Amino acid sequence: MDFELPGEDHPKRQEIRAWFEANPHPSGLALAQAGFAVPHWPRPWGLEADAELQLIIDQEMKRAGVHVPRNPVAINNCAQSLLTHGTEAQRQHFLWPALSGEHTWCMLFSEPSGGSDLGNLRTVARLDGDHYVIKGHKIWTSLAHKAKVGVLVARTDPDQPKHKGLSEFLVDMDTPGIRVRPIIDMSAHENEYNEVFLEDVRIPADRLLGKEGEGWALCTTQLQTERVALSRPGAIWGHGPSARELVEGLAEIRALADGAIRDEAAQIFVEGEILRLLACRALSDRMNAKAPGPEGAIHKMLAAPHGQRVVDLAKRSQGARGMIAGEKPFPSQLAGDDPYDDWDYAFWFSQAVTLGVGTQEVLKNVVAERMLGLPRELDPTARLPWAEARRKQA
Amino acid sequence: MNFALSEDHLMLRQSARTFLEKEISLARVLVPGATVADADYEANWSKIAAMGWPGLVIDEAYDGLGLSCIDLAMILGEMARTLAPSPFLGTLFGAWAVQKGGSEAQKKALLPAVAAGSTKLALAVADASGAVDPPSHEATARKRGQSWGLTGAKSFVIDAAAADWLVVAAQEEGGNRAFFLLEANQPGVQVDLLPWRDVTRQVADVRLKDAVGERLAADDATLWPWLRDRVLFALATESAAGTQRVMEMTVDYAKERMAFGRPIGSYQAIKHSLADMLGQVECSNAATLYAAWALSENHARGSLAAAMAKAYTSDAYMAVSQRSIQIFGAIGFTWEMVNHLYFKRARANAELFGSARAQRARVIDMVERKAA
Ligand SMILES: Cc1cc2nc3c(=O)[nH]c(=O)nc-3n(C[C@H](O)[C@H](O)[C@H](O)COP(=O)(O)OP(=O)(O)OC[C@H]3O[C@@H](n4cnc5c(N)ncnc54)[C@H](O)[C@@H]3O)c2cc1C
Repeated sequence: MDFELPGEDHPKRQEIRAWFEANPHPSGLALAQAGFAVPHWPRPWGLEADAELQLIIDQEMKRAGVHVPRNPVAINNCAQSLLTHGTEAQRQHFLWPALSGEHTWCMLFSEPSGGSDLGNLRTVARLDGDHYVIKGHKIWTSLAHKAKVGVLVARTDPDQPKHKGLSEFLVDMDTPGIRVRPIIDMSAHENEYNEVFLEDVRIPADRLLGKEGEGWALCTTQLQTERVALSRPGAIWGHGPSARELVEGLAEIRALADGAIRDEAAQIFVEGEILRLLACRALSDRMNAKAPGPEGAIHKMLAAPHGQRVVDLAKRSQGARGMIAGEKPFPSQLAGDDPYDDWDYAFWFSQAVTLGVGTQEVLKNVVAERMLGLPRELDPTARLPWAEARRKQA
Repeated sequence: MNFALSEDHLMLRQSARTFLEKEISLARVLVPGATVADADYEANWSKIAAMGWPGLVIDEAYDGLGLSCIDLAMILGEMARTLAPSPFLGTLFGAWAVQKGGSEAQKKALLPAVAAGSTKLALAVADASGAVDPPSHEATARKRGQSWGLTGAKSFVIDAAAADWLVVAAQEEGGNRAFFLLEANQPGVQVDLLPWRDVTRQVADVRLKDAVGERLAADDATLWPWLRDRVLFALATESAAGTQRVMEMTVDYAKERMAFGRPIGSYQAIKHSLADMLGQVECSNAATLYAAWALSENHARGSLAAAMAKAYTSDAYMAVSQRSIQIFGAIGFTWEMVNHLYFKRARANAELFGSARAQRARVIDMVERKAA
């Protein structure tokens, strides 16, 4: 066991640093082609990087002030499925524009009828010659208003039980019949998510990812494939302020003189450090060829409420001034250009981190069932043909 | 960089587990009315000593095994998992003190006997309020020729009643605190066992009246920070392992116990609480192993890591062991069940050598100092 992080003189670090010195303002494509968008992937997309190299790359990018192209749905969740389930033509068509950030992706999973019970979704895709015709309604779709590509789960066989009749598609968001309506969330910030209406949307049949009926397996894997940010365990799904920055900020405004705040800040700091260790250990496990499993769920179960505590204490340190829109808690804000680096926005947005990508309650079910072997939740609809279950519910 | 335990460590832990599961029984303390006198202290010690564990962290030069804090964590954790009542912890604390603070002659005189299991130690630091940092006005030391005379009182001394030698923190005439080595069996030393609620551990008050001792060579400033880090790490290691054991037995029970035609573990109020427990277990283990590594490496973050581990595991062990009693229902509240033994160990470990809150105060001090 060795917790020492790769040092300044690590030979790989020198190599990576030299690349960023030679390419101080790399384009998204240059970054992607150098393997820095997805270092843990196989070549040519990545560098087959182990945990240590990933950490070095994260740190060196931060040092150089360079960001991975902002395309979280592709880079963190969905695009990796193309390596295993995609066709060569799909890889060639979709991956470089995704990894370079040229094509933003979105995740068309949740529907108005329910997000946690994703398997119950109602959007249908029907094969018609060499096209699928899609009809349905998606909601809470982050980035749909900017996306070129949508990863869509739809029902291809309503006579199968709910989890069996689903398939996944890669949809061009400018296909006729798709309408995107922004939804403004409680932060009043520029919209994060949207509603997406799909009216007889015809897409070529070769946009099916994997086989018909594999949709459930694909989308659950994608929801678990979060790439853990090692260098900065930020409050908002790994982005934005961390506990260390909270303590620095509170010290700056002399709030730590208050014994109660001091103790709470220390508690949050300790949690933050421990979460950092857990993230590192998850990567080490992967390095030691342990398959990634439900421990991602436990990490999110711990990290999401921790993030809420980080921004909540910062907000409370402001007193009544914290209610003034845009008011900063600490004179020196984070320097980054990530929108979540803004403490005020991060606080109002943080109400969503225990909802999106699996609610806290659903994560606890996953942890209890998959890691502790406790009884599964009852689902009277799980084994019935979906169409029949739907009739019974109505 | 590899945050996982090595095969060697996993094997060491497994062999300790197999041994303890076979050899340690809590049957006698689980009889209502039992006290620490029923805890098989001496018998367990003989078994543990035969394994060579008293010499785990003692240098090879003094006939010990010279193992690291990570190795120690494997074995100490397993002892805490079974609660194995024995004078191991007091002896460990004392051995650390002598090894770090003793002169060559003191180490030679004592450590080989400790490693062999024939001499037991205890570390007396706290005063009656539980405070462990200098000054230690409740005990004073006066120089008398080559030796020292100690007078006063020490409190909450783990394993003092079993110890052959005591390592005592006392105030010197010049005003500094130092550590002194005293033979326990002498007229000036009186050890009174406390009616300690954690009946799997002996805890005593020590009264000194002109007791004869010798001073450990190192000054308090050299010895105490080093020793405190290790003591906190050891308590945290015990707490983390106990937390895990309590979670496991509670999960097993929740799968078996039926109510309203279903296992109680199928109800979310129970299920979610067990998921939370697993979260606390993972965090406790990560924090203590990090401290084990940092102390093994004499890393600059060792003190921070030990304080963080003690802070986190204290709260987690208390919370998980309390919740476990709730999940077992009324039977979990009886003396015959082990639940209360873990609950009591949790409370004791949390308070000794500085509470969770006291450790958090140290953590934030360290963070601030570095930021400043
Ligand atoms: C900011 C944000 C961004 C999002 N981005 C996307 C996106 O890009 N793409 C996308 O497809 N979706 C997205 N979502 C949707 C998200 O995945 C869903 O909100 C989530 O799955 C919950 O679904 P729901 O909102 O329909 O709530 P419901 O499923 O209706 O749940 C309501 C409440 O019931 C609880 N509950 C449900 N089932 C159980 C159970 N079995 N046990 C105990 N409690 C239960 C939930 O925990 C919750 O508290 C986003 C959500 C947010 C907030």
